[in-house]
Amino acid sequence: MYSYIVRRFALGAITVLGVSVIVFLIMRVMPGDPLTAIFGPEGMTKLTEAQRLSYMKELGLADPLPVQYLNWLGDIARGELGRSFFRAESVGEMVLRRGPLTAQIAILSVILSWILGIPVAIVSALRPNTIADNTARITSITCLAVPGFWLGMLIVLGLLFWFGYRAPQTAAGASIFEEPWTLFQMIIGPAVVLALGQAAYIARMARSSLLEVIREDYVRTARAKGLNARLVVRIHALPNALLPVITLSGILLGFVLAGSIPVERAFGTPGLGYAMYTAVNERDIFVMQNLVFLYAVVFVMLNILVDIIIAWLDPRIRYQ
Amino acid sequence: MTASPESASGVEPTAAGSGGSMPHRTWRGLRHFARRSPLSAFWGGVAVVIVAMAVAAPAIAPFDPLKSDFRRMQKPPDEINWFGSDQIGRDTLSRVIHGSRTSLTVAMSAVLLGTTLGCFWGLASGYLGGRFDIISQRLIEFVQAFPDLILAMAIAMALGSGTVTVIIAIAITRIPFGGRVIRSVVLSLKEMPFVEAARSVGASRTRIMLRHILPQCIAPFLILATTHLGVAIIIEASLGFLGVGIPPPAPTWGNMLADALNAGIVPPWWLVLFPGVAITITVLAFNLLGDGIRDMLDPRLRGSL
Repeated sequence: MYSYIVRRFALGAITVLGVSVIVFLIMRVMPGDPLTAIFGPEGMTKLTEAQRLSYMKELGLADPLPVQYLNWLGDIARGELGRSFFRAESVGEMVLRRGPLTAQIAILSVILSWILGIPVAIVSALRPNTIADNTARITSITCLAVPGFWLGMLIVLGLLFWFGYRAPQTAAGASIFEEPWTLFQMIIGPAVVLALGQAAYIARMARSSLLEVIREDYVRTARAKGLNARLVVRIHALPNALLPVITLSGILLGFVLAGSIPVERAFGTPGLGYAMYTAVNERDIFVMQNLVFLYAVVFVMLNILVDIIIAWLDPRIRYQ
Repeated sequence: MTASPESASGVEPTAAGSGGSMPHRTWRGLRHFARRSPLSAFWGGVAVVIVAMAVAAPAIAPFDPLKSDFRRMQKPPDEINWFGSDQIGRDTLSRVIHGSRTSLTVAMSAVLLGTTLGCFWGLASGYLGGRFDIISQRLIEFVQAFPDLILAMAIAMALGSGTVTVIIAIAITRIPFGGRVIRSVVLSLKEMPFVEAARSVGASRTRIMLRHILPQCIAPFLILATTHLGVAIIIEASLGFLGVGIPPPAPTWGNMLADALNAGIVPPWWLVLFPGVAITITVLAFNLLGDGIRDMLDPRLRGSL
């Protein structure tokens, strides 16, 4: 088990390094000039050559690219995520202030997706091709086609229109211990929207996985010895059927991290996703570079965590 | 599955075996498809209607999507503007119709470009193997470490706004999928007797890849391309919504939703409802069409794409 964890982390470290190269390539080497990104094409023509050079120097863009890359890696290693071009707050402070809100949205949405997806999958798998199964299938297909941010806009609009309700959105966020009710109102909307898409994938995967497991010999044995059908599912079939669903849930975290950007924009939630939206709109390449890297690293780490959980639950993988 | 073994093994044998003239054969294929999966056939029909709407947008749309009518600003739906009008008096219905044009052009070009590149990459890395394959797999893994939308946002921002930029940004996020799927198909094809035969008569590696293996990749390619259209449309709309899509005033569904949100504290409901309905119906149509095509061409791929 320990050797598995070590190996998984070593591979993860290589991936993180590769990810950093890709982020750097996208942000610095692609045809777009960073200064054009900041000032816009019209602003660029107004800058004199001397101004351009001094800006480049000030931003550390005058060094050769490999040096810039190593400097950036050094900054990250020291925990400095750079500074916004337009704001006083450093990226590190911003992540600490806004990150928890997005993390809470993500966690709540994953929990909700399991609560919604698994019962639906059980009903569909135990009664395949019935009305219940088909309804579940059509619902999940529809959930996958609805863009989350649009659903978010509709929810905000509907609540305001019919109930005159608007969720509180304080820039400082709300502590889970001091103002749990305010926090709940802030995160429940985005979490539900993000959960629906995930639940659709989870229900689909859990259904086919359960259908496979139900045909296994040990399930038949359990039934043959007279075990109650409900207990057979709960004790023998479900735990085995859920392993691939856990892996899927890890992959879907990418869907949540990325999806939270437009969804937070739709709800006006002041989380990290909203910060990403602001950065991309202000063409703030330094904030963007660090946030994109951070998101990718978080995604990679969460997937390592999921792999370890799977290995812990399933000895067949551990001893491969 | 009721599919006979011949029809499960790919398009080529069934198409060659059915004979008859070209239109006749196409018609029979369509009828077969409709009988096998009526739901997919229905939504495939919807997809055709949407494509037709996109092609004929200028003829169908009642107004110019860019022209403001200052006497009719932010009007709710009525008999003149069926879907209402926006803050500067542009007709929402016309903008939704023209939006299908942009969305479909971008999504289709991006998916075709990305899947084709991924397909050739997967073909080369699967057939050549060795060090090239190992490096390719690592690279694909690095690209897949980014959530799709975030990668597309970063690329679109770095390249500056524009239609081509958005197409490239979405296409890059589709490359790993093509690469992975085609590589695994090629790995199994490479051991087939016909490849061995080609090799033994002295065909070059390039010739074997392009003449013998590539044609066998058409079915998975078509499946990949159709199943990824829906995702591409959603990414395009999200980019537009986040302000890194095709620059305004171009009427795209994502831009329209962003405009609605910028319209004021309470966006008018018709500006929010219609573009979103358009996205949902289009994505639903292409997803179900994709499912149907996958089930018909290669049921074994169910769940793996």
